Amino acid sequence: MTTTLVPGAVTGVVDADGTPISFEDSRDPGDGRTPIVLVHGTGGSPATHFGYIYPLLATRGRVIAITLADPVGRGAHDLQISDFVDQVAGVMTHALNGERAALVGYSLGAVVTAVVAAKHPDLIHSLTLVCGWAQTDTQQVLRNEVWRGLRVSGADLIKEFSVYSAFGGPFLAARTRDEIQPVIDGVVITPFTDAQMELNRRIDIRDELSRIHAPTVIVGCTYDQMVPVRHQKYLFGAIDNARYTEISSGHAVVFERPAELLRVIEQFTTAPGRYPAGAVIPELKP
Amino acid sequence: MTKATTTPEKTRTLIIGTGFAGLGLSTRMKRGGDNDFLLIDRADDVGGTWRDNTYPGVACDVPSHLYSFSFRLKPNWSRVFAPGGEIWGYLQETARDEGLLPHIRFGAALTSAAWDDASQAWHITTTKGDFICNVLVTAMGHLADAKYPDIPGLTDFSGQLMHSAEWNHDVDFSGKRVAVIGSGASAIQITPGVAETASELVVLQRSAPYVIPRPDRAYTDAEQRAFERSPELMEELRADLFWGMEYNYAQRRAIPSAIAQAYALANGHRTSQVADPVLNAKLTPDYEIGCKRILISNAYYPSLQKENVTLEAAGLERVEGNLVVSTAGNSFEVDVIICATGFEAVEPPFAPLITARGRSLAEHWSDGMMAFSSVTLAGFPNLFIMNGPNTGLGHNSVIFVVESQVEFIIQVLAYMRTQDISVVETRRDAEESYVARVRHRSQGTVWLAGGCTNWYVDPRTNQLTVTWPDYAYAFRESNGTFDVAAFEVA
Repeated sequence: MTTTLVPGAVTGVVDADGTPISFEDSRDPGDGRTPIVLVHGTGGSPATHFGYIYPLLATRGRVIAITLADPVGRGAHDLQISDFVDQVAGVMTHALNGERAALVGYSLGAVVTAVVAAKHPDLIHSLTLVCGWAQTDTQQVLRNEVWRGLRVSGADLIKEFSVYSAFGGPFLAARTRDEIQPVIDGVVITPFTDAQMELNRRIDIRDELSRIHAPTVIVGCTYDQMVPVRHQKYLFGAIDNARYTEISSGHAVVFERPAELLRVIEQFTTAPGRYPAGAVIPELKP
Repeated sequence: MTKATTTPEKTRTLIIGTGFAGLGLSTRMKRGGDNDFLLIDRADDVGGTWRDNTYPGVACDVPSHLYSFSFRLKPNWSRVFAPGGEIWGYLQETARDEGLLPHIRFGAALTSAAWDDASQAWHITTTKGDFICNVLVTAMGHLADAKYPDIPGLTDFSGQLMHSAEWNHDVDFSGKRVAVIGSGASAIQITPGVAETASELVVLQRSAPYVIPRPDRAYTDAEQRAFERSPELMEELRADLFWGMEYNYAQRRAIPSAIAQAYALANGHRTSQVADPVLNAKLTPDYEIGCKRILISNAYYPSLQKENVTLEAAGLERVEGNLVVSTAGNSFEVDVIICATGFEAVEPPFAPLITARGRSLAEHWSDGMMAFSSVTLAGFPNLFIMNGPNTGLGHNSVIFVVESQVEFIIQVLAYMRTQDISVVETRRDAEESYVARVRHRSQGTVWLAGGCTNWYVDPRTNQLTVTWPDYAYAFRESNGTFDVAAFEVA
């Protein structure tokens, strides 16, 4: 029996072109809010990327967390963003029964959900893109090449490199080397991660962005070295109905500032129109 | 004390209390050009709980760069967790620098406050003169009135009796036999110091607390000057501290993974500091972590293992002469009893003193404290309660709540001034629906479901009335902005 991240949640499986896609559905109707759908990023899962925010969001309303899967019968170099788009749309169509959802994507998941919003506007109530990007740039390609080189060489150092890239400088600097070791030990890399990293080199969804009309919030992270804020500012410009906000964190915002990310998601999904398109939403100053 | 016979002093806004809440509100008012206010305080200095709590070792459990006003950042905090005296000094400095002292009437303890519809004013009597004001703000804290346990024989104790919040600095503990009653936040700060000097010390622990490490250290001169020269560093640190503490709300919400993390931290700390399995067992709490306040100390467990210290894992049953008798039947002969037994939080002592239309606040709250937006009440016009119902935080800095309430009240006062309004009164339905929302949100929190007795829950109704059952940011979201729709105005 599978343990769910939220007590009482149910798990489901949907077939996406021969690939079984699993998801967890908190199913708590809460206080009548729009259901939220979470899509994780590269090498992640609902447990690793949304282990904090998913159970908290589920205390207020229904949340569905999707686990992206390696398409059956594909080689690593054939993975396409459309595969993930079909997986997400498949789960939403199956689980939501026509109800529109607040779609939330993180990192590669943000790329996926942006395309879902462009291709399936009828599924979407609002769109939250966290650390997303439209087109892979040279800084990202170089990082990707170093990562791949370490991976091919079998060097254990790839874990340090992953943590060094993912976390913001201020976060790492505020901790001792020993305190970071468990994070490094926790890095898990699978063949599916390899496939996603290969896909990450080829992202270009610029043509899709003008077709997104749902209220959108773009979340950039100030110290993100993997998908620097210039990418989110591009999305902010490219998506008509978009707002922008920033969190003082690295790319690993789901670990560094999960409570702040929760606030952004909660406030936006509860009232997407609170700030007009084009607005820069200020970060809370405690 | 003789009551002043002069005519009442008139002011637009009267604020009771000069702790963080009263000074924070009046600072914002004065900076905004509103000088028509007075503050009263029963003591002879500002500082609230930081003036009253002067026991050796007193400190705050929230880092000082967060436990301070966002609009008065202080670069030279000496430590991550500054000593209580330094926090008191910060408040004294605030009152002086912000020009508040001329507005303060010291030695004026509230004896009554009554709303008069005809004159649209609050009539206030105190131990030092009377006041008439249009708007009344109570800015007393949760931790203002010392609570002694109701124990047979305690008041007849033949030795020296004191409360942690009413410390007698004349008492020298050397060579004395001392009993500390309680094992909460004050007790664990008091115990290590007393253990150093007392000949014998017994700590009576009714219910063991969870204790986690205290990541304290001094700030270097270089760091303090960096804060001074680059003030944005203080804002960044403050935000880091705030979100780091917000993270822990997940524990209070009883999220399994968060609870597991909290247990690992607390149990690991206890195990690393307490080798003796018998003592360890006595120090192991019997309720869900977070149900009572989680305490932070590196010194408490070691102090309990000193030769001259005894942990009695039982409450105080009675006092006979100089004998302290525990509920387990053990007696200890002592010279000094220190009651570290907390404060009156669930039923604020000022509630019976405040009346409007023949009804006191205590009567309004006979089923527990409640208020719209945790700050105003139907039937009590122009009254604002700071640190009132559902304003405490179990996981973050209460100064953030205080500043949210300050902002709310500042907006009300500005609205009244610009719209020429003299009375604002909360609509009953607004109060009821707010209270229902808070009650609903409280369900499933560890304070209600954690299997302990705590001071956040009203024993009359088993409702969570002291603590805010959500993130701190959600408090500001819900209660930091005035919306006239919830009020009747005239």
